[in-house]
Amino acid sequence: MASSNKKISKRDTGKLLNEWSQEFAVFVPSRETGVATMAKWDGKDTSFLDWHRNTVIPPKANFLPAMEEMFNFQRDKEGYHIELPPQDKHKQLIFGIRPCDAKALAILDMTFSDSYQDPYYLSKRKNAVLVGVGCTKAYDSCFCTSLGISPAESTDVDLMLTDIGDEFLIEAITEAGKKLISRSRGLAEANEADETRAKASKEAAYQKVTRQLDTDNIKQRLLANLENKDYWEKIAAKCLSCGVCTFLCPTCYCFDINDELVKQQGARFRSWDSCAFPVYTEMPMENPRVEKWRRVRQRVYHKYEFYPMSFDVTACTGCGRCIRLCPVNWDITQALNNLPAKV
Amino acid sequence: MKQESEWEPKLLGLLCRWCSYAGADLAGTSRKKYPANIKILKVPCSGRVDPLFILKALRLGFDGVLVSGCHPGDCHYQTGNYRARRRVAITKKLLEYMGIDPRRIQASWVSAAEGGKFAEVVAEVTKELKEIGPNQLFTPEGKGYGAKATGRG
Amino acid sequence: MEQKLRDGAKALLEQGKVDYIIGFEPGSLKFTTTPLITRDKDDIDRLVINPFIVNNLSAYLTELEGRVGIVAKGCDSRSIVSLIQDKQIAREDIVIIGIPCPGLIDLSKIEQLAGKDRDEVDDITREGDRVVIVVDGKKQEFPITEVLFDNCLGCDMPTPSEYDILLSESSPLVTDKTSSRKKIEGLKGTSQEERWSFWEKEFSRCIRCYACRNVCPACFCKRCFVEESEPQWISPVPQWQDNLMFQVIRNIHVAGRCTDCGECERACPVNIQLRSLAKEMYDIVDDLFQFKAGMDKEAAPLLTAYAVEEAEDFIR
Repeated sequence: MASSNKKISKRDTGKLLNEWSQEFAVFVPSRETGVATMAKWDGKDTSFLDWHRNTVIPPKANFLPAMEEMFNFQRDKEGYHIELPPQDKHKQLIFGIRPCDAKALAILDMTFSDSYQDPYYLSKRKNAVLVGVGCTKAYDSCFCTSLGISPAESTDVDLMLTDIGDEFLIEAITEAGKKLISRSRGLAEANEADETRAKASKEAAYQKVTRQLDTDNIKQRLLANLENKDYWEKIAAKCLSCGVCTFLCPTCYCFDINDELVKQQGARFRSWDSCAFPVYTEMPMENPRVEKWRRVRQRVYHKYEFYPMSFDVTACTGCGRCIRLCPVNWDITQALNNLPAKV
Repeated sequence: MKQESEWEPKLLGLLCRWCSYAGADLAGTSRKKYPANIKILKVPCSGRVDPLFILKALRLGFDGVLVSGCHPGDCHYQTGNYRARRRVAITKKLLEYMGIDPRRIQASWVSAAEGGKFAEVVAEVTKELKEIGPNQLFTPEGKGYGAKATGRG
Repeated sequence: MEQKLRDGAKALLEQGKVDYIIGFEPGSLKFTTTPLITRDKDDIDRLVINPFIVNNLSAYLTELEGRVGIVAKGCDSRSIVSLIQDKQIAREDIVIIGIPCPGLIDLSKIEQLAGKDRDEVDDITREGDRVVIVVDGKKQEFPITEVLFDNCLGCDMPTPSEYDILLSESSPLVTDKTSSRKKIEGLKGTSQEERWSFWEKEFSRCIRCYACRNVCPACFCKRCFVEESEPQWISPVPQWQDNLMFQVIRNIHVAGRCTDCGECERACPVNIQLRSLAKEMYDIVDDLFQFKAGMDKEAAPLLTAYAVEEAEDFIR
């Protein structure tokens, strides 16, 4: 049986990206800025093809940047003049997004295209092509498999690449993906042996994820422990209330809005905000989450209880960043696995 | 942007209300001439000056900051100026290390009787700031606000 | 040492001498530990001491109520003394369980030497002044100075001088002061403009998560100036200019409180060279005022004290 999939040698992947660069702004995993992130491709370096797993900064930053100008304004005698920031004419092509992060974008889509259609996020998102690359290794913080995600398979991308040695197997997932490969040069037809290798590669990747999150009855267990202050207080004790876990979470989307005004001109920005900060819920009369355990509980419940209530999906993809990058190794899988069955 | 020749430095003076502010007042009433480059902000004591004020001024585009208080031993609150001295000393050193010309951060002791000295200090500092040139540390694009819409991506 | 620690901590809880014990327990990732903050003596057997006890636990002291027994390395003990100087905690409320610290292992240096990520390294063992790293079954040996944190290489006090219990005799000091300041000296060898653009690049990737501030025991303000809105001192939008200003001011505010524990840089998720700022401030303070943070609990905090004759040369 002939495969309908394509393949490309790793050596030629740079050429393919160059070809795509004619049409898209191509983003690839990079450490150019000093931290692993999805950055504009320089047209040469392909060392990211040897990367096995996700970046520090999640690809959500390409759609919901750490800061973003919403509009700028000038004031003169006639009043305010408002101008929207120039849109990047190029469509983004994100190459090398991992299945956890692709799933995270699908989760973010639900928030940003719910009753309110967020133009800033959606304009970028609708114009983007996602080219996924399966993980070949897992961090010891990764637990995507517990959330029904395979580290080397995804339906949340347009094209999915699987490492099969010196080559990548290319599967078209969406119509856009099919169109893209049909007009891309230098792709070979995949054969049955390639498919077999891809299957083995996916299976091997799956086995590398060793961390387990116990999702059995998780809803009931969370509901039962909502008021279990002792439990939350104890596990929250070491939390520093910094923004690492939320800012670098691929599904956290909270933002703050601020005006920057100097003399007669300025701009309105939105930037990442975090429920871990005490000021996040500060209001003139009171702050419902002054205590740390309430903030810690909020993060866990939002991901595993409130978000599923609204959108029928857990707002966590097991990417492991919040565990790996936490300055004190606060571990959400421990927090959930150790939830008392009965209070 | 203005031509270099037309450019005049902007200096923020953080003056203690008991000595240096009164000194500036005296310079005025005794008709001493000094450059109009200084904008004066009265503070209760030089000890009130948090290095944050200095950074904020530079961030807003001032070319230099002058912290001025009572001579040692003359502080209205006994020790405020000594504390200011420590703070300005470490601020100057750290900012130099960051890559800011330390001459942008200046300090002086000017008493209420030293109208002449105040005028001299302002003239000297203004001259130095002219030598350094405009402060474009925080606004290389010459815009009032510095952000661009960038993902950390 | 570990057994002595557990016995001591258990006794403190049982005898009601403390309400909490703060120490380290094994983390959930390879070669990591995590803070253990507990009132429960059944947790005590999880306490560990190893070359990966990186956190400066004194950061928790200002938020816990009651008396606390705390595991402290030399730098941590200095942070505790500094908090006492600042009257943020009372000496009688703290039981310091001192660890003579031979230096901690910087996993990012291990990763560089091994050419592998932390979790792909099989084993890391310290043997005196050597470290043995096992990768893919292969043993490699390096001098310990190549894998210790830069701040450990510049350590001024490996063994706490302020303590209630000391877990062993002081350990031999392994330092390399030159390597400790290597990045800083490298930076100082460049021009003013180059330094400024270096910091611009560093702070361009800051996301303002405030991990650096929140891990820092010297940052004990109930409300930080960055959160003030009237006046708004700096923008909450993570523009590099404001990120830089935040960090510079933070370092000035903790001058004379910073013990060069290195936590700010280690906590930073985007690898900003924060210790190169903190350590320079540490040395400026020492150079100008012969002041090292947290050495003497009777001494006044640097920025509230003065000498009549000092640092006058820059004043007109």
